Amino acid sequence: MVSDDIGPNRRDVLKASGAAGLAGLAGLAGCSTTDDAATDTPTEESGGGGGGGGDEETSADDGGDGDDGETGPYAIGMVDSLTGSLSAFGQRNQRGKDLALADVNDVGIGGRDLEIVVEDSESQSQSGVSAAQKLVNQDGVPFVIGAVGSGVSLAIYESVIQGTDVVQLSQNSTSPDLTNFPGLLRMSPTGSTQSTALARIIEEDGYDSVALAWVNNDYGQGLAETFREEWGGEIAYDQPHDQGQSSYSSTVSGMANSGADAWLFITYQPEFTSMAQEAYSNGYEAQFYGADSVQGSDVLGNTPEGSLDGMKVVVPSAAVDQDNYQNFASEFESEYGETPSSWSAFAYDCVVTAALSIATADEFTGAALQETVRDVTRPEGEEVFTFEEAMEVLGDDGSPSDIDYQGVSGPIDFDENGDPIGFLQVLTVENHEYVSSGTIEG
Amino acid sequence: MSVLEYLANGLVFSSIIVLSSIGLSLVYSIANFANFAHGDTMTVGAYTALVTFGFVGTLGAEVLGLPLGFFLALVVGVAVAAAVAVVTHKVVYEPLDVGSIGLLITSIGVAFVYRAIVQLGFGTEFIEFQIPLLRPIEALLPFGIRMTLHDVAILASTAVLVAGLHALLQYTDLGRKMRATADNPSLARVSGIRTDRIEIWTWVIGAGLAGAGGVFLGLYNNISPRMGFNILLVVFAAVILGGIGSVYGAMAGGFLIGMINQLTPILPRLGQEIPFVPESFGIPIGIEYANAIAFLIMVAVLLVRPSGIAGEEAT
Repeated sequence: MVSDDIGPNRRDVLKASGAAGLAGLAGLAGCSTTDDAATDTPTEESGGGGGGGGDEETSADDGGDGDDGETGPYAIGMVDSLTGSLSAFGQRNQRGKDLALADVNDVGIGGRDLEIVVEDSESQSQSGVSAAQKLVNQDGVPFVIGAVGSGVSLAIYESVIQGTDVVQLSQNSTSPDLTNFPGLLRMSPTGSTQSTALARIIEEDGYDSVALAWVNNDYGQGLAETFREEWGGEIAYDQPHDQGQSSYSSTVSGMANSGADAWLFITYQPEFTSMAQEAYSNGYEAQFYGADSVQGSDVLGNTPEGSLDGMKVVVPSAAVDQDNYQNFASEFESEYGETPSSWSAFAYDCVVTAALSIATADEFTGAALQETVRDVTRPEGEEVFTFEEAMEVLGDDGSPSDIDYQGVSGPIDFDENGDPIGFLQVLTVENHEYVSSGTIEG
Repeated sequence: MSVLEYLANGLVFSSIIVLSSIGLSLVYSIANFANFAHGDTMTVGAYTALVTFGFVGTLGAEVLGLPLGFFLALVVGVAVAAAVAVVTHKVVYEPLDVGSIGLLITSIGVAFVYRAIVQLGFGTEFIEFQIPLLRPIEALLPFGIRMTLHDVAILASTAVLVAGLHALLQYTDLGRKMRATADNPSLARVSGIRTDRIEIWTWVIGAGLAGAGGVFLGLYNNISPRMGFNILLVVFAAVILGGIGSVYGAMAGGFLIGMINQLTPILPRLGQEIPFVPESFGIPIGIEYANAIAFLIMVAVLLVRPSGIAGEEAT
């Protein structure tokens, strides 16, 4: 009796899921043909089915803006890691974003405010894509700041942004892979500069064998790959690990078994903390090295005093010598009671760059912003250090090439791959604190 | 490097899985649905213990490298996890008349609610019990085993809890009633057992054990709002492998899955570790597939024994 009841139910479920799968396939097929049409014959773009839909949406938005009498705020989107394993970055981003938004809206963009719709990526690709989809399709934003994790940024670019006019500017992604997608801009310099720097530092420290543990995603893979290319010595252990595991003892004992004295961690803070704890309570000793993502006060707070001493970490560094950074830092400190990290600075610059690209664009559409977003930060124009200064230089009808925004995170200067140039700072753990021990240029 | 070290790691990890699997299986046996909020019940237990430990702190003498205050915090964590589960049962699951699939989906919602509340209170960042980490026990080092006293504490506490549960199920009135209810609720009811009370006791014990598992997971690794949800899949694998609804099956399944998870690094160099096998023999597979291997073995066991290791047997 019971099994008789279950039979048809299962079949129904199968049918339903099959139908859903077919629908999905059909949807995908639709997308790819549209993409092809768009790339093969750019002139016919608006004639294509999907492309037409996109255009309609943006023009509808224009109409809406017109009705508002051009007084409503310019709305752009932001996908951020408010929760999940990168939430520490997300929180810093939000602080940088809030400060930038205040600075922009003090001046205004042609009398209008900037508004940022923030969605949570949960530090995961799937949730990030739905967040971006909501922003682009529902809120109709032409500019998306996002995301933190490189895998999330790429997923958003490939499934939401690519083939549309919407501008995507990642605030924190450092995977070298993103370089292969010129349409995807980012504010943080590529992590491959970190791998190169790490390889150089480990070599200078006199090690010829290294154990490498990397997180199993785009970020970890990208950095590990560049490290393998740049590293001249032996790699005694080279294994990925998944995020959010309940135990990393296999990784740590594997690294210890490899016999290498230099251990390099390309992973995230919670994962690295577990590994450092595991190494400590297993009594393993090694010289630790790490990419930027394993550095943080949480890591120090949750590892035993002295267990990390001597560890070297490279982190993308903000333009700490510039006045605008110092203003930003003091503003940040009075607001949040601590010094800003470079991750806040990147988010700050994302917002200012977005505001400048809106200010210099002919109209508030993705296509128009694509034209201006790169130029406002590139040389040729007059160097400006704040949004206010930039707006003064621009006057009423300045063009993007009139200004060269020097961000609080550095000169930005997007290259043809959408990557900024950047500085790296080498931090060494001394007495359980991070101490700067020099800089390396990227 | 010895296999013993991996076995030791495996034992500790298995303990945590065993504690959580038993609870999941118990609840399934009586409430009849797969409780996806089980992992987050562990999180609730861990955070409660964290808060309690913050108050009682270094109270009392040290046992196995842990202050007595920690064991008090453990008890409070267990109690609160149990209380939260009973309240959820009374407020959400019991009034719902939706069948096991409906309850399963509801429990996913409940899991999100637990996690959201934890996040509201403590933020999303990970945190540690303020207990100094220990170095490995010197006496075991010559054998290649690197265990701390904390690991021993986790093992010992698990053994005590599992033995206690066994005694409860086999030798007490409540245990017999629980087994009867799990076996055949209607028959239990007509023979005079108040099954609704038994159901509450099941939630208390199941969620309590989950709370204990959460506290130990926090001690073993660290505490974060996703800790319980992250381990839940592995726990499900253990429960299904053992035969869902069976407590002893859950113990066996939890032990096996935990071991497999921690022994994965040996696979690529099996030949060097096991006698009678050619030196070069090995299964080339990375540790990132540890969970996948656990699930493969689960499927393999289910193909041979469709109801799991201890399926069909009354608990």
